[in-house]
Amino acid sequence: MHSAALKKIKRFFSAKWIRLSLLFLALLIAGYALYLDITVRTQFEGKRWALPARVYARALELYPGMKLKPEQLETELLMLKYRVTTGNPQETGDFQREDNSFTIRTRPFVFWDGAQAARQLRAVFHGNHLDSLEDINTQTAVTLVRLDPLLIGGIYPAHNEDRVLVKLNEVPRDFINGLIAVEDHKFYSHHGVDPRGIARALATTVRGNGIQGGSTLTQQLVKNFFLTPERSLRRKFTEIITASLLELHYSKDEILEAYANEIYLGQDGNRAIHGVGLASHFYFDQPSTQLNLPQAALLVGMVQGPAIYDPRRHPERALTRRNLVLHEMRQQGFISPQQYENAKNSPLAVVKTAPGGTSRHPAFVELVHRQLRRDYRDEDLRSEGLHIFTTLDPQTQQIAEQTLATRLSQLEKTRGITADTLEGAAIISNTQNGEIEALTGGRHARFEGFNRALDAVRSIGSLIKPVIYLTALEQPSTYTLITPLDDSPLIWRERGAKDWEPRNYDKVSHGNVPLRMALANSYNLSSARLGLALGVQKVMYNVRQLGIDRELPPYASNLLGADGLTPLEVTQIYQTLASGGFRVPLRAIREVVTADGKALQRYPLSVQQVVEPAPAYLITNALQTVVHEGTADGLNKYISPDLNAAGKTGTTNDLRDSWFAGYTGDRVAVAWIGRDDNQPINMTGAGGAMTVWGSIMAQLDAEPLQPPVPENIEFVWVDPEKNLRADETCAGAVKLPFIRGSAPTETAPCAKTSPVKSIKSWFKRLFE
Amino acid sequence: MNKIIFALASLIVLSSCSSDLFRESSEPASNNNAVVALVNSAHTDAAANKFDAAGATLERALRIEPRNPALWQELARVRLQQGEYQQVESLAAKSNGLAGDNKSMRAENWRLIGQARLKRGDHQGAQAAFNKAAETN
Repeated sequence: MHSAALKKIKRFFSAKWIRLSLLFLALLIAGYALYLDITVRTQFEGKRWALPARVYARALELYPGMKLKPEQLETELLMLKYRVTTGNPQETGDFQREDNSFTIRTRPFVFWDGAQAARQLRAVFHGNHLDSLEDINTQTAVTLVRLDPLLIGGIYPAHNEDRVLVKLNEVPRDFINGLIAVEDHKFYSHHGVDPRGIARALATTVRGNGIQGGSTLTQQLVKNFFLTPERSLRRKFTEIITASLLELHYSKDEILEAYANEIYLGQDGNRAIHGVGLASHFYFDQPSTQLNLPQAALLVGMVQGPAIYDPRRHPERALTRRNLVLHEMRQQGFISPQQYENAKNSPLAVVKTAPGGTSRHPAFVELVHRQLRRDYRDEDLRSEGLHIFTTLDPQTQQIAEQTLATRLSQLEKTRGITADTLEGAAIISNTQNGEIEALTGGRHARFEGFNRALDAVRSIGSLIKPVIYLTALEQPSTYTLITPLDDSPLIWRERGAKDWEPRNYDKVSHGNVPLRMALANSYNLSSARLGLALGVQKVMYNVRQLGIDRELPPYASNLLGADGLTPLEVTQIYQTLASGGFRVPLRAIREVVTADGKALQRYPLSVQQVVEPAPAYLITNALQTVVHEGTADGLNKYISPDLNAAGKTGTTNDLRDSWFAGYTGDRVAVAWIGRDDNQPINMTGAGGAMTVWGSIMAQLDAEPLQPPVPENIEFVWVDPEKNLRADETCAGAVKLPFIRGSAPTETAPCAKTSPVKSIKSWFKRLFE
Repeated sequence: MNKIIFALASLIVLSSCSSDLFRESSEPASNNNAVVALVNSAHTDAAANKFDAAGATLERALRIEPRNPALWQELARVRLQQGEYQQVESLAAKSNGLAGDNKSMRAENWRLIGQARLKRGDHQGAQAAFNKAAETN
């Protein structure tokens, strides 16, 4: 009885103990699974939704008759990483050039106003013009087509500055196929784990050969989430549960997308290269969408060991590995034997050094980001995957970047300046619509640092003078292009300010000078006197009218540009002058489109007439005189005088800043050179910035400046020195524009219509 | 019954004629086919009250021919529909600056300026603009 009771009790206890422990264990596992579930979902969602805004350059429009050199089209296609083929282009993104004829298989692209399908085009050039454009498939003429735009950068999540997150449709199919062929060919049928793989892995573990292999893509993704490289049975167990959980919650495509963004593909110093987007930039300096088959295969091959197969350090190993991937892809029917042959024989095509940043043109992208921040929350910009279509012309940008860098080095060399001490900025915009085509914020264009184009507030010196002269020319009853101005010495006393005693650059005063020549030679005395006569307030009012928001105090010294503006602000002033007195806000953005291709916002062209057409016409004429025979006549060494460019040099006290601002028929450009520590650079505007401006413009194939003549402008022959009416027979006479009724009424003695002359000729006739 | 149908039909015809803001002018806006295609597409958009799209398309055309006064005028017309009257005046003035001695173009610009001023309640200014239009033509 005693023993039976004991047994019973024992049984009871043991059964309960077992049950309890089983229950406890089940609870523990469930709890752990729940914990894993929450962890992995947080990880997954967090990564998935942070898609950076994509910033695109303008799309190149092609239409018959357009001014475009065949070289420019080729450059554009190569920038877009279109592949050159020798035979007929086979795939989207291929092109072939035979002299003046191109065959292009364009990529499909979703623009702001809709999708444009891939097409097969033939473009034939005649000289510097696109002569004809034809759709090869339909054999019809094409009136207008856009190439896909160049991706120039992104606006990334702050904590994840280094990622280039991509959507699944931006991951090349070749990359995914390669992964499936090599890493996990049952990916689409398993539930996160491959039992046979696990069995294999277990077997090797039991045999004591370490824990390895058998990982599905899902498991690999999980491994990447838990960053420790620990290898243990517990870890494997966790991995299997988590992988199964992931498969429960997410589709195969979602898992692939996360994988493509998470996978570890290399190391750049202490920066880990995660994801196919960043790896594309790091190894090929191009976005993932433009990866071709061999490039995609190389990245797939590197998944197993980015260090072992580093294509920069171990190119041969990497090549062998890549070709193994290609071989597997062919075996499993992902690629044709022909594709295999071609890809196998292509070079690794890895860029020698990893590019500095993922943005090609960080200075411009920064401007875009700032303009966007006025309308969007920063976190949306960094996470909603918006597509930003901008105004950047990548070819103009490249010219601006290269020219600034080379000119600065040349200037340092020829003038004995310590290398790498000069800095600079250049901005180029379109005269009519204010779109910024190029912007550089320093000589090292890919360096994301101090952006001088936007942030360097520097004395603008004589660049402000055209505003004084414009203010004068708005009063035609008092001022014309040849009104004599007093260039005598000047001391200006103002309460609350130091006495102001401006001097001419040549330290000489020039007596009476015709208005246009005072501007052309940038005389300080006559300009200051003119400004004071007009009223400093009035001049500063016009500075604001032309588009400057910054308050410039109405001190007399500001008439000679003592206060600072940024190169971007200066560009806005000259933009308004260039478009004939219509203020067009400078724009870097055209449209914003959501991640799934819906139009979100447009930044439309906006125009406001702030200067009457006639005085605007006159100031442009005076600025053409600056280039023709004034301080900027050296520009004619760079560009043809036939362009009739208008411009102004700017030099500041102690030669600290060298400026040039000006325009041709189609472009406004501003260049600045100086030092970041504001030390003198011993350079005038003409000696420095003007040469940058000139060599940029020379490469841009600029249009001549021929502003339309307003109705109330008449052209009159005058003797500019004497401020008299004249005719073409008079020595030194010039034909100049005047606002109707403002031209001099007195006639020079030399002119046919002059009373003196008619009396003379009467006598002449009498005695002959 | 027939009468009603006739009345309805003529009403439809009349109403489609009356939207003369986007009438096709007799001469094309440009001799560049790409520009003509864009202008036509802008007309289609504007007729469907898609003024944003119409504006965007005209801006594309202006990038090709920035000195074409007809395109600036078309854009002014779109802005009139969008109720951006200050823009209408500036865009029409821009068109005028480029129109040279194209009198009918200038007259039409002044009419647009007049309409914009009317909408803003500036009756005197509007009358002045309409007078300009009459003088110019």
